[in-house]
Amino acid sequence: MEYIKPEKIIELFKEKFNGSVTNNKIETKTAGLKKNSYSLIWLEIELKDFKEAVKFLCTIQFPHFAIISDNDTGEEIKLTYHFSIYYGERFKEISLNLATSLPKNNLKIPSITDLIPGAQTSEREIKEMMGVTFEELPDLPNVFLPIDFTKGVYPLRKDEKGVYPLSKNGKHIGGNITDKEEEVKKVE
Amino acid sequence: MNKKTYSIPIGPVHPSLEEPMTFNFEIYGERIEKVNLAPGDNHRGIEFMGRQRNPIQIIYLAERICGICSASHPFAFCQAVENAAGIEVPERGQYIRVIIAELERIHSHILWAGIAGHELGFDSVLYISWRAREEVLDLLEYLTGNRINYGIFMIGGVRRDISEEQIPRIRKTLEYYKDIYGKLEDIFLKDPTIALRTKNVGVLTKEEALNLCAVGPTTRASGIKKDVRQDQPYSAYADLDVKAITPDVLTGEVNGDVYDRIIVRLLEVVQSIQIIEQCLENIPSGDIIAEKKLVKLLNQLKKAKGEGIGRHEAPRGEVFHYVKLAEAEVPEVWKARAPTYNNLMPWAPMLLGEQIADIPIVIASIDPCIACMDRVTILNKANGQKEVLTKKDLHDLSVQKTRRIAP
Amino acid sequence: MTTLLSLFGILLKILGAIIIAFLGVVIGLYYKGIDRKIAARMQARVGPPIRQPFMDFFKLMIKENIVPQNAVSWIFNGAPIMALVSSITILFYLPVGNIPPLLSGYGDIVLIIYLLTLPAIGMVVGGFSSGSPYANVGAQREMVMMMSYELPLVTVVVALGWKLSQVYPHLNVFSLAVLNAHPIWGLVGPLGFIGAILLFITLAAVTPGELSKVPFDAPEAETELAGGILVEYSGRNLALFGLTDAVKTIVMISLTVTLFFPYNISHLLALSGVLAFIVDVLFFLVKVFLVMFIEVTFIRVAVARLKIDQVSFAYWIPVSIIGLLGLILIVLDTNIV
Repeated sequence: MEYIKPEKIIELFKEKFNGSVTNNKIETKTAGLKKNSYSLIWLEIELKDFKEAVKFLCTIQFPHFAIISDNDTGEEIKLTYHFSIYYGERFKEISLNLATSLPKNNLKIPSITDLIPGAQTSEREIKEMMGVTFEELPDLPNVFLPIDFTKGVYPLRKDEKGVYPLSKNGKHIGGNITDKEEEVKKVE
Repeated sequence: MNKKTYSIPIGPVHPSLEEPMTFNFEIYGERIEKVNLAPGDNHRGIEFMGRQRNPIQIIYLAERICGICSASHPFAFCQAVENAAGIEVPERGQYIRVIIAELERIHSHILWAGIAGHELGFDSVLYISWRAREEVLDLLEYLTGNRINYGIFMIGGVRRDISEEQIPRIRKTLEYYKDIYGKLEDIFLKDPTIALRTKNVGVLTKEEALNLCAVGPTTRASGIKKDVRQDQPYSAYADLDVKAITPDVLTGEVNGDVYDRIIVRLLEVVQSIQIIEQCLENIPSGDIIAEKKLVKLLNQLKKAKGEGIGRHEAPRGEVFHYVKLAEAEVPEVWKARAPTYNNLMPWAPMLLGEQIADIPIVIASIDPCIACMDRVTILNKANGQKEVLTKKDLHDLSVQKTRRIAP
Repeated sequence: MTTLLSLFGILLKILGAIIIAFLGVVIGLYYKGIDRKIAARMQARVGPPIRQPFMDFFKLMIKENIVPQNAVSWIFNGAPIMALVSSITILFYLPVGNIPPLLSGYGDIVLIIYLLTLPAIGMVVGGFSSGSPYANVGAQREMVMMMSYELPLVTVVVALGWKLSQVYPHLNVFSLAVLNAHPIWGLVGPLGFIGAILLFITLAAVTPGELSKVPFDAPEAETELAGGILVEYSGRNLALFGLTDAVKTIVMISLTVTLFFPYNISHLLALSGVLAFIVDVLFFLVKVFLVMFIEVTFIRVAVARLKIDQVSFAYWIPVSIIGLLGLILIVLDTNIV
């Protein structure tokens, strides 16, 4: 297996997905007294090329998949897939964070479980927490939320589909809960 | 022949599980034909809670994700915030972090050894190894003030220094574990009944470990040399020579069974002792924290913008934290990934085809931390409508219950 | 007059039976407490007080007795009684010191082997009737265990009986009184001596299996089956199973003592009468304690639990071979001499 430098990896991605790579960044971190360094890559890619990008990543080295992190930015949901490649050798490992944005009106993304079966748990988590549909992901029951959890409520969303945030100032962001409290008042 | 299977539920509450988690098994005779995992019994919505709090408050929340990894989660979280906000940790702080993290590894692995003994019906091992674990807990209390949930991590460094007078006490504990290690090795690697119960049980092949993204001792026992301390050395690990431990170091072969996981964990105890010794020799003098005043630090974090990841090799595997700061009091995103989260899927290939008697030790062999993995939503089942309860509902319910218990 | 005498005899036997049953239970529970205490000390912990099994028993007796909804209630409730009665019955056939057994002449060691299976069968029946998957698996395992350890157990008994029948052709060699009066060690040459040691090892290996103790506690396996057979039992029924376990321990150990160490010390001390009686009983209890320590306490703290297929294998192959080897050595010893 040939070691490709982080700069070269970004170039390869740019070459392959011309124009699709919207954002890229290399971070170099140092640690300890000797100030040895390691690298992180941040990539953002358009949704249409996302699956191909993961496929391409698998050809570099079979990546270790950590987790998908979710971010509700308002208009879009941004999913960041955290991979790492070149593990097994000192200072060689590169953390590769591949982000893509999904429009709120069409929350669909191809599943990567056919490439990396270990991503299943994380995809199921995002599915139940954010309401993102993963195409070709088998319809399995909830991982973390109760099986009979209210349909259409996604706890980590920050819009009207989220749940009541128990924040200090009690500011309501979610919509459905406000209705609920009014109902409670009516009953009283 | 028509195979007639029957089902056995293990969990949510079962003597072989330390934490709630449900497994549904389809059994034919004594052999497992089908496994169905149903986690989530311990989900507390910690990430959701974290998104309402400022980063310093989250450190304490992260510490309480799990009682055993109470240095690992804050370690990874602090790194993530430091990366996002561009804070540099002073070298002395990095070394102290590593010392605490490695002490935690010793305590966690010995705790696991006891549990493994108990799952095998070998209770003497449980009592003896947990007694041995007390020594390191005492040391942690001496250094940090707490046996668990050390409360020593802070964004930008650590909260307490290790003074010159404290070092002999650390060395004494390390000597104790060097003495006792021979006994542990005797019990686990030379006892015929333990070998009988763990060899060729719960096998995870290298391909499965790769495909299912296993982490920590589970993946190393399958022969993958993956260890964040080695691959992407952070903190003081960058100065120390850490090598991922695979079972072939000792036996010359990799089987990926429970026995190999025992070997990896035992050898890691020795490795931790060596790491701490190196740290004590090389520890530089200087500051332990980048910004001592918390108000100032909070203001700095409030103005910070960016995203960062923090990775730490916890006793059970890689802990991964992702933080995004967006010039606000609370982080925009906080995502915590515990090692058991990734080791969940490998359970299926390990358990299939094994016997009922193997269930406890195979489940225990990845050193599961359900609390870490599941990170409250309460349902109202009256009138058939399932709804999320409000804070007021919960309060009323608890008042009712109190009246019922103590009228 | 004769009818009156025999009636008196029967009354005496009933009285004796009550006393023996009571003593058996009390001593059994005390020995259980001692076993737990010693095991605790070997595991570097303090352990419960010696009277803990009594406290457990009385606590369970006042607790509610729950019968699961899908259990067959009369079998479920009957099983513990059957187990306790059959194990107490064996006590009446066991000689203590040089006191002949209460029911000597009414049955021999072959009957005891049958009676020994009864508590286990009681547990199996109770397990199957409780309608829980854990109990079902436990009951299946218990049956497999029974089938596994019978062969080595019978080998031991047959070997001893055969040797006795060669030396004393006119005696009822399977009678426990006879076995008690003629220790095997004095009857054999050097080859047979080794054979007898092998037979003792076989019996020592069967004992933990018969008593469902680690490493052969697969039917109850706490961490796998959460108590297995006993998982659905509570209150009085569980207390009765607790008593059964205590009595069974005494029975199995006494059997070992009777077969292999039937020696007394009263004649060595030149005692007679009541004093000899007391000394012999005490000496018997000491022997039971020592054997229990080796066969139960020591083994159970020193090893891990075996899987059921490993248990079967252990009994069918190595333990049976050791037993048969002992038998062959004794036969060879007799025929060469």
